[in-house]
Amino acid sequence: MLKMNNISRIYQSDTIQTHALRDFSLNVKAGEFVAVTGPSGSGKSTFLNVAGLLDNFDRGQYELDGVSVQGLKDDELSRLRNEKIGFIFQNYNLIPDYSIFDNVDMPLRYRGFSASERKRRVEEALEKVGLTSRFKYLPSQLSGGQQQRVAIARALAGEPKILLADEPTGNLDSLMARQVMEILHDLNKGGATIIMVTHDPDQAREVNRNVQVIDGQLADFKVYAPLDRSAETKGKTISAAVNEEMADA
Amino acid sequence: MRSSSMFSYNLSLAMQSFKRAPTLYFLIMLTLSIGVGVLCANLALVNSMASDPIPEKSNKLIHISMNTWPGDQPPDEPMHILRYRDAMKIAESGIPKRSAVFYASGVYARDSESTSMKRFDSAVRATTPGFFELTNAPFAYGSAFEKSRGMEVVIGDELNQKIFAGVNSVGKTLELDGELLTIVGVLKPWILRPLFYHATEGRAFNLTDDIYAPLETAIDLGWSIHARSSSADNYAGVEETRDKNAYYLQAWVELDNVNQRSAMQSYLDSYSQELKDAGEHPLTTRNELHNVSEWLTAKKVVDQKVLAFTLASVLFLSVCIFNASSLLLSRFHAAKFEVGLRRAIGASNRHMLIQGLTESALLGLFTGLVALVLSWLFLKLSVQFLPRLANIAVLEPKLLVLGMLLALVTSIASALYPLYRANRYTISAELK
Repeated sequence: MLKMNNISRIYQSDTIQTHALRDFSLNVKAGEFVAVTGPSGSGKSTFLNVAGLLDNFDRGQYELDGVSVQGLKDDELSRLRNEKIGFIFQNYNLIPDYSIFDNVDMPLRYRGFSASERKRRVEEALEKVGLTSRFKYLPSQLSGGQQQRVAIARALAGEPKILLADEPTGNLDSLMARQVMEILHDLNKGGATIIMVTHDPDQAREVNRNVQVIDGQLADFKVYAPLDRSAETKGKTISAAVNEEMADA
Repeated sequence: MRSSSMFSYNLSLAMQSFKRAPTLYFLIMLTLSIGVGVLCANLALVNSMASDPIPEKSNKLIHISMNTWPGDQPPDEPMHILRYRDAMKIAESGIPKRSAVFYASGVYARDSESTSMKRFDSAVRATTPGFFELTNAPFAYGSAFEKSRGMEVVIGDELNQKIFAGVNSVGKTLELDGELLTIVGVLKPWILRPLFYHATEGRAFNLTDDIYAPLETAIDLGWSIHARSSSADNYAGVEETRDKNAYYLQAWVELDNVNQRSAMQSYLDSYSQELKDAGEHPLTTRNELHNVSEWLTAKKVVDQKVLAFTLASVLFLSVCIFNASSLLLSRFHAAKFEVGLRRAIGASNRHMLIQGLTESALLGLFTGLVALVLSWLFLKLSVQFLPRLANIAVLEPKLLVLGMLLALVTSIASALYPLYRANRYTISAELK
């Protein structure tokens, strides 16, 4: 689903060159739920931005759902974002003076769907997150958890191939965070591929795979899945895991 | 279907954007409206001054200036006014399709059958009959008089409104300075801007005349000359001028085609030479023919001050665009997050550009409406200070269209740089 090979992202100021990503390689298969962890400034968000085609990269190869993104024009990148990626942001990023319906409808507008098709998709997406009765509400009339569920509905409405979540529970209390995580797990069980950046080690443990980023690189870490830790994955280093994934690919 | 849906979506986004920052958009609109309004008001003046009043044949209508002055102190240039016999020589030449020889006069007019003694001060054009066809004067009732002598007149719409309440007054009799003349024709409302047939003596923007009387009759009745005249001889009244060296008549001819102009020139030059040979004037032969456009240019009908002010208005509009652009830049900067979000969820730069242009175009439409109202107000204000502009301070339909287009163009122009800036950021930077 997502193949990154030796991706580098360098931010250049007048005097300083910062390597936000350094020879970053990752392979995420369809249906996986991957947690990306790491300390602040390690490059998690840069990875997610590059993965979501929100930022450029300087070197390396990146293939999303079989499409190599190098050299694509703005229109083509926009279409890829619109059709293949669903974003869930930490701050929800809802437009405050749009109704819930209009917020979820937004990405569909750029897909050129008919009004009836858009309505069907918005209703379905809001049903998945349990907000069917709040079409006309404004974001400010909802709790933080509900707003994040709207954001998830917006990400789902276009039926994307992959969901990219940037600390989706970072602004929520534990109860609401739990609800959001359950929705994400349900979606994953339904076949959705999810990459989630998180600071929460407990959340990282809940998912199929945990990837740690340090200094713009995948850290040499142990892959574990506490809820279903198997002997096969236990104790593997990241290098071994990556090499294995590349070989699989 | 898809594009129309996107267009209506973009329109709704534009309206939402206006609602979010009404004060800012009001300021932008006002800034641009003032710039466009001032320019439009100036263009209205220039348009009135510089337009072709009779485009269907302006290149075939020729004004004639001659130098046949017999005195010791001849004018530097050929004179635009002619003496009676020179003017008649032109009318009798047989070269032009038609001619008009006339002078401006004035009388007090009243309905001879009215019990009221109220008289109306009326501008008179004492002219040969060819005037009406030559100038394409539009008749509402009746027709032109057919001869240069006869107690008949044609009256303009305004006088007909004043005296006869606008009804068909053909056949009625007017008392003009004590003489009774019958109305044979009534003109429709007739605006000639500029008044090409009398563009001298600062009259280029006067209204058309109230009364058109046969030339010979006006002379016989001694109706005085209400325009520039020069004479090398003494005379007591205009009725004595036919054989005097009194210069007061203007002559226009209508040619069948522009090629006849050289024939007319030769005819006049030959006539002047004959006069010179006969010792009637000592001057080098110099007769000048001007078509309408050349004549209006020669008479500097377009006020250079208005032209200069129009240029200043263009510069002022540039400053307005710059200011509006600065305001829009701050607005677009404030909306950076939404731009980033839309791009993140699938809007391309092209989408955002079209959305921005739609917003600018809508703003331009509102700006255009306000600008036209301001333009009208500026013109009204101008007339308050400069009453001579009254007849040219007019917003014609083409000026209304131009005003709307100007507003659209300026609104879009002011948004171009902010749009360019808005789309230059990487999406991740916009979302921060």
